[in-house]
Amino acid sequence: MSGDSVPFALPLSRFEVSDREADTLFRELRKPLLRYLVCLGLSHDEAQDVVQDAFLSLHRHLSSGGSAENTRGWLFRVARNQARNRQTSYDRRFGAPLETGIDAQLDEATPEQALLEKEKFRRLGDAIRSLPASERECLLLRASGLRYREIGEVLGIATSTVADTVDRAIKKLAEKCHV
Amino acid sequence: MCEYSNKLIAWLDHELPDDEAAGVERHLQTCAECRGQVGSYEEVSSAFAAYCQRAAVPIKRRRPPVLASLGISAGVAASVALWFALRPAAVPQLPLHPPPVASAPAMAFQATPAAPWVVHRRPAAPPAATQEAAWRPSEPAIQIAIPAEAMFPPGAVPAGFSFIADVSIAADGSPQALRVWP
Repeated sequence: MSGDSVPFALPLSRFEVSDREADTLFRELRKPLLRYLVCLGLSHDEAQDVVQDAFLSLHRHLSSGGSAENTRGWLFRVARNQARNRQTSYDRRFGAPLETGIDAQLDEATPEQALLEKEKFRRLGDAIRSLPASERECLLLRASGLRYREIGEVLGIATSTVADTVDRAIKKLAEKCHV
Repeated sequence: MCEYSNKLIAWLDHELPDDEAAGVERHLQTCAECRGQVGSYEEVSSAFAAYCQRAAVPIKRRRPPVLASLGISAGVAASVALWFALRPAAVPQLPLHPPPVASAPAMAFQATPAAPWVVHRRPAAPPAATQEAAWRPSEPAIQIAIPAEAMFPPGAVPAGFSFIADVSIAADGSPQALRVWP
């Protein structure tokens, strides 16, 4: 009867492994993905939906024997595509001043510190908004913890292009913020 | 302009091959200008991450209404006290006399915890297995549900009202930080 057990045992064990991988990834990447999507312009509810859908897709992908290579890049790419499908303006979040959040963050600082920090954030916000979308997206994915290779896979560009773009964007921000 | 200036950010991100990274490190020991640039790139990277983090905080959670937060923090403080009271017991029991809200201990109230998001310079190319091993669950280790009736006099809390509280407990058992949301 051992011949019978093989066809059942193989898919089952693969299913279990992929399930565990997806679970680990979910714990590790849920928050970075949410931040990424909200910074792209999605509302929090939309971002939650997209993240859930992306992980469901990953689960299906892994349990149907899909490649487990670069699942981080895979998830960000799926999430980004879904965000684009929602016709979201990438500028919505970065376009809106973040005064409320900054005020809350600086509640405990002295008035002088708060003013200084607020001014710094305002300048940074202006500088970020003045970047081309491609540079902003590279920095956003970089801040989400992705490697240049993974960023390239998400955006469909070469790793060397990512390196150039990140280099250019950080230098622009540093120059505009005079840090 | 220094010939290394186009490699500094890739070096910060651990994206250079080993031999090139070693070259940058040797250069940095002798070039104050590049060291200054690395510092400013690091700073702007952290500032960008902080900016995104602020952008991603849901507006409704940024600052809870004052009245609600007063009531909630008192309630949570009471639930913390309750947690300590119940800690040795294997089976949680509801208290016979709910702790009065007014005597709840004063605690630091942290509405929006500033969780570290990204640290630059990044750790050198961690393999997937290492990342998995280094991961720690972010969910609370212990979850306790306490009915409002057990803590408040009848009618003090509207029917159906509930909130979630995360309490960080230090190694010595003292409560360190509170995070509550409706």
